[in-house]
Amino acid sequence: MTERLQLPAALRDDIVAHARAEAPKEACGLVAGRDARPTRVIRCANAHPSAVTRYTIDPREQLRAFRDMEANGEELFAIYHSHPATQAYPSPTDRAESHYPEAIYVLVSLRDAAPDVRAFRIRDGWVREVTLA
Amino acid sequence: MAVTVRLPGVLRDAVGGEARIEASGATLADVFADIDRRHPGFRSRVLDDRGTIRSYVNVYVGDTDARDSGGLGTAVPEGSEVMVIPAMAGG
Repeated sequence: MTERLQLPAALRDDIVAHARAEAPKEACGLVAGRDARPTRVIRCANAHPSAVTRYTIDPREQLRAFRDMEANGEELFAIYHSHPATQAYPSPTDRAESHYPEAIYVLVSLRDAAPDVRAFRIRDGWVREVTLA
Repeated sequence: MAVTVRLPGVLRDAVGGEARIEASGATLADVFADIDRRHPGFRSRVLDDRGTIRSYVNVYVGDTDARDSGGLGTAVPEGSEVMVIPAMAGG
C-alpha cells in the first residue's frame, strides 16, 4: 500500500524557488501542517559548513519554527532539502541522519532542467517513497 | 520540581511515543535521570558514553541552549519547558 500525499502546487513551487535561490548550496526548511495536511513552507538557513553537499537546519530557526507551529495550532508535516547536482533520492547521509519518523522528507533535485520533487518516509535507515499528488 | 519535557522526532520512541512528558529535577541531569527511571534507555539515547549531550541533539531550557549554560548542570526552574530536539540534517 503506497502512502499518498497532497502537496499543493504553491507549496511545491515555494520549495523549488528556495532550492534555486540557494544553489549551488543545499536549501532546507520545514513544511508545517494541520490535520495531516500541509499548510505552509518555513524556509530555514542551512547551517552546515559544507552546504554544497550537506545540510543542517539552523537549530535556532528550528526551535523558533517549532514554537511558531505550536502557537498556530500546526504540527511538523515535512522536512525538505535540495540536491543541487544529484537525484531527488535520500543519500546515505540523509538516511543516517534522519531523526523524524513522523515527518515526510521532501527532496528537490535541480540536476536536470526541470526540477524533480519527491517525498519519502525515512526510518531506521530504510526509505519508502510517498506518492506526491 | 515539575517541568515539561517536549520530544519532537525519534526520541518519542524512547518514552513510549509521547510527544510531551512531565518530569522532575533541579538540573537537566536530574530531569534526564528521572525520565530514565520510568523509561529505561532514555539517557543513552540523549547522552553519549561520556555522559555529554549527543552531538545530534539540541537541548533548550526555555530559550536557552543547554550547551551555552553548563550542559547537564543547567538549572531547570519549576514550571519550565525543556525541549530535546534532534537535528534536522543530511547530505
